[in-house]
Amino acid sequence: MGEPVVEVADLMKTFRVSEREEGLGATVRSVFRRRYRDVQAVAGISFGIEPGEVVGFLGPNGAGKTTTLKMLSGLLFPTSGRATVLGHVPWRREDRFLSRIALLMGNRTQLVWDIPAADSLRVLQEIYRIGETDYRRARDELVDLLDLGPLLNKPVRNLSLGERMKVEFAAGLIHSPQVAFLDEPTIGLDVSMQARIRRFVAEYNRRTGATVLLTSHYMDDVVALCRRVLVIHHGKLLYDGALAGLAERMTPYKLIVATLHDGAAHEDLGAYGAIVAREEGRVTLRVPRENVAERTARLVGDLGDRLADLSVEDPPIEEAVDRIFSGELPVATA
Amino acid sequence: MIGAYRALFVAGFQNASQYRVQLFLYVFFSVLRPIIFLAAWVAVAQARGGSVGTFGVADFAAYYIALTIVLHLALAWDAYEFEFLVRQGRLSPLLLRPLHPIHYAVVNNIVWKLFTIAALVPVLALTAITFGARFQGEPWHYALFVPSLVLGAAIRFLFGWIVATAAFWITRVSSVSTFFDRIQFIFSGQIAPLALLPGALQVIAYAMPFAYMFGVPVDILRGATTFEQTLLLLAGQGFWLAVCYLALQVAWSRGLRQYSGVGA
Repeated sequence: MGEPVVEVADLMKTFRVSEREEGLGATVRSVFRRRYRDVQAVAGISFGIEPGEVVGFLGPNGAGKTTTLKMLSGLLFPTSGRATVLGHVPWRREDRFLSRIALLMGNRTQLVWDIPAADSLRVLQEIYRIGETDYRRARDELVDLLDLGPLLNKPVRNLSLGERMKVEFAAGLIHSPQVAFLDEPTIGLDVSMQARIRRFVAEYNRRTGATVLLTSHYMDDVVALCRRVLVIHHGKLLYDGALAGLAERMTPYKLIVATLHDGAAHEDLGAYGAIVAREEGRVTLRVPRENVAERTARLVGDLGDRLADLSVEDPPIEEAVDRIFSGELPVATA
Repeated sequence: MIGAYRALFVAGFQNASQYRVQLFLYVFFSVLRPIIFLAAWVAVAQARGGSVGTFGVADFAAYYIALTIVLHLALAWDAYEFEFLVRQGRLSPLLLRPLHPIHYAVVNNIVWKLFTIAALVPVLALTAITFGARFQGEPWHYALFVPSLVLGAAIRFLFGWIVATAAFWITRVSSVSTFFDRIQFIFSGQIAPLALLPGALQVIAYAMPFAYMFGVPVDILRGATTFEQTLLLLAGQGFWLAVCYLALQVAWSRGLRQYSGVGA
């Protein structure tokens, strides 16, 4: 690993928003006297990302994910704090910086609606000053990875949503950025297109070594692509570490799955832990982490030969994330 | 930069060619308003024995034909489009590229004008013949009209962008833009030739940038200025261009700090 390509320290963004109560009277009053409220979208976060990493950025709506990506790509000025991306301060918006990064937002287009994507790519070639050889190589690679061949010569307005997203990816990455910020890249796509985009991001990262910071509401995206995740909630970073460790860190229990020979799923195993699932011969128990060893030993001892199999698992990652998003977990620094 | 402009021009022409009905309507309305004012002033002149001030019917015809050409080539509508870009979140992808968003607007302006100017020529020729338009310029008038038109267009373009940057603060900028359009309508020589404005209004008109956008190139094109006056007016245009350029630099850099990436 080299120097971090993304370094963030105490980054904070506060928006000032106007607010008023409902009703005509409040509306009239607001014309003459407007009330404002400060909303802290990002509340002082710090992290670093190494070259070539694919990092998932998780958090519920309004957690501060997109605001952070916008600051790191130079779209927004922070209220305070520091950040560098590829050695540049993003919000200075130097051409050299903008030429080396990309921010792809799943619901935003950068293509000209009425002309074929191939022509939009040519425009981008000139804007990013990409030499003809590099342009052809990058375009051919994207055409190959995204299977774009037949789509490039159709006007963008005639493409389906999935087709357009693929072309958007090509437009967003034609300049071979070293850092790509992907904000909900699979939003609105069907399952097969989501899987395709996931494969593309993984392969793109493998081929080019680009660093990727990805937000998504779909855990499948994160599980498929990211070994490391950042979890943000109410603008604060709750977790920064391995995806595999997220459940361990964020859920105070494990699951013991006991399979019984005699199909004794009807037997009451509630004494060993909270029963969360029960199907033929198989019972899943939720047990506090500190009690797992003791409960496992008791189960083995009490059930003896009737036990066909016993496994201890972390809860599904979705469950951990759901607990965080629903506010069940207290804020804990990673 | 040249490569980017060339590519944007190609894309712009492809894009513009998609909308022929819009193109026709644009040309129709850009001619309609000056022609209505021409007809009104001709009626006034005829009622007053053939002239208003120093303007006879043929002078009014020349004035409004020149105004139509200048308005067509120098008018800009960026504030309205910019509001749309900001409100719809379409500005963000442009801000992420190593090319200032103003360059897209420059190309769009030029493409649209070149695309529509051809349709304007026969209408204006017919109007000139019908009203016996009298252009009394010397060759140097026509030579200096070109830089004057470019300067007027540049002032109008940059002014539009200054107003447009208000969208960073208030999001809905069309009302501000409409306000300035109304002032421009009076003080740029559209409602009446600047020479016919009452004394005080004429002084105000030349103290504001609007006259230098349209009225000044029109007067030069129809040969209504002396050489010294023309140079003075060109210097005035240079002054307002510099003011607008500096003001836009300040407004843009402050606006970007304010940008909240609405909807994006």
